[in-house]
Amino acid sequence: MMTAAFHIARLEGRLALRKAHQLAAIGLFAICAVYLVFQADGFKQADAWAAQLWVVYLFSIFSAAGRLFDREQGPTRRYLQWAVQPRALIGGKLLYAWAMTGAMTLLVFVAFYLFLGVPEGSHISLGALIGAGFWGAFAMSTTVTTVTAIASQTQAGPAIAAVLGLPLLIPQLILCTRMTRELMAGVPWIASEHFVFLGSLGLGTAVLAVLLFPYIWRS
Amino acid sequence: MTGKLWKWGGIALLMVVVWRAFTTPMQPGLVASEVDKSLDIWEITLTSAGYPLDFNANPSDPQHSDFQLVLKSGDMNTGIATYCAEVTAVESHRIVGRFTPPDTLPAPSMDVYLMTPGAGSLMLRHAFSVQGSIQGLPAENCALGEEQPYLLPTTIPFQPTILETIRNLMFHVPMWFAMFFIMGLGFVASIRFMLSGDIKFDQRADAAARTGLLFGILGLITGAVWARFTWGAWWVSDPQLNGALVTVLVYSGYRILRASTADDDRVPRLAAAYNVFAFILLVVLLMILPKYNESLHPGKDGSPGFNTYDLDNTLRLMFYPAVIGWGALCYWIYKLRLRMIRVGRALINR
Repeated sequence: MMTAAFHIARLEGRLALRKAHQLAAIGLFAICAVYLVFQADGFKQADAWAAQLWVVYLFSIFSAAGRLFDREQGPTRRYLQWAVQPRALIGGKLLYAWAMTGAMTLLVFVAFYLFLGVPEGSHISLGALIGAGFWGAFAMSTTVTTVTAIASQTQAGPAIAAVLGLPLLIPQLILCTRMTRELMAGVPWIASEHFVFLGSLGLGTAVLAVLLFPYIWRS
Repeated sequence: MTGKLWKWGGIALLMVVVWRAFTTPMQPGLVASEVDKSLDIWEITLTSAGYPLDFNANPSDPQHSDFQLVLKSGDMNTGIATYCAEVTAVESHRIVGRFTPPDTLPAPSMDVYLMTPGAGSLMLRHAFSVQGSIQGLPAENCALGEEQPYLLPTTIPFQPTILETIRNLMFHVPMWFAMFFIMGLGFVASIRFMLSGDIKFDQRADAAARTGLLFGILGLITGAVWARFTWGAWWVSDPQLNGALVTVLVYSGYRILRASTADDDRVPRLAAAYNVFAFILLVVLLMILPKYNESLHPGKDGSPGFNTYDLDNTLRLMFYPAVIGWGALCYWIYKLRLRMIRVGRALINR
């Protein structure tokens, strides 16, 4: 199953690269959002800085991973239902979503670091910031993938993914913001409770997604 | 007959609880003190809340000798000095005393103890401080008197921070318990639907989520009222409150999910998967995360629960029936909702 999941993730990556303009549009959205925050010029304080970073990141990953199941309609869906185990499919989607949101992390966090710098007195390096971003990406991408999988089965369009996903992402956003603030205050990541909670939440969501997906995937 | 007994029994229990919650007086307790230091003899005025202080007082005694007002300074480390004041006036929620300020004290802050003839012993910590006092012992002119008998009728406990709003315990907490109970039923129903595909379990899950959402919203409203009184704001950023709000939002999402899917055959499966996800998140957000994060909310990390200090027997006699009563009402609403869903389904299929 793991091999199949890996192949699906690679296939997703290839298909995404073929439509490079879509990736560029997501990147453009992320950079514009960061620049808008830079122009607002009101986020020099560590708390507001961390919160703003993660809010920008949240909308960026929704753009990146919110249409993850758009291709699985009609004949493609029937083919996948016949050819691939549902758990392998969701596993592949989770892997791809993590890789995709990881790439978004690099883009958003580096842009944030370059435009806004870090607030005075904070002890966070760009490497630690990106590390926190990858961890947050892991937790959030699992939720976004699960919700997108459910939302794709409805006929309400992509808006339903945001409606279902935002409440689920609030606790993760809070944990991400607090984890970043702790890192900025000089707390080592290994001593951060929020780091552990965030990872547990991400892992738990991934396990639930793998367990529940077959029920929503069946026709 | 038995089928109706639990319904009407629960409602009767709830009515008794509501009646008792609003009619049982609160124990008296000291809430504020003011000291007039402009003269050689200082005057202290204490304000109380709850049952009147002059309960069982002798109205023909101008000396108010049945009251004893004692000031205490220091602790076990610095030494303790007790100092008596002369009670000069007693009203229902106000008492005035006079005393000569002591020359030396073990600590500048003073606690106040008030022994009353029927309402027990009342205490106010750090009632006032004595600026420029010389540290040292002894500085006492009396000792604490003997504990007076407590003659008040049934009262609810005095809790300095929440005062009369302690009555909300009979509404806010049981409502959340009821929500947990009914959401748990919905969770089990969703799992049974996923295992069997029997539509009746989906209907149960739907009815449970709707009822649970109602009780969740009621829990949020009663909690906000309590927060406004206790913490000074309708809403504060707190792990428990965040978890409660997210739970209500997630279950609102469940309703939207059901409503947004026109394809009837897909609804039960999608809703069951989402409900399982939502309930596990509810347990994590309301029961696990707040335990490990500092919280203002009673019973979470950093704040003791009611059962640690304040849930005395009077309160227990109201709280436990309230839990049963609200639980029964919640289950009744769930059963009615389930019947409505089934009737609606039967009409569509006709």
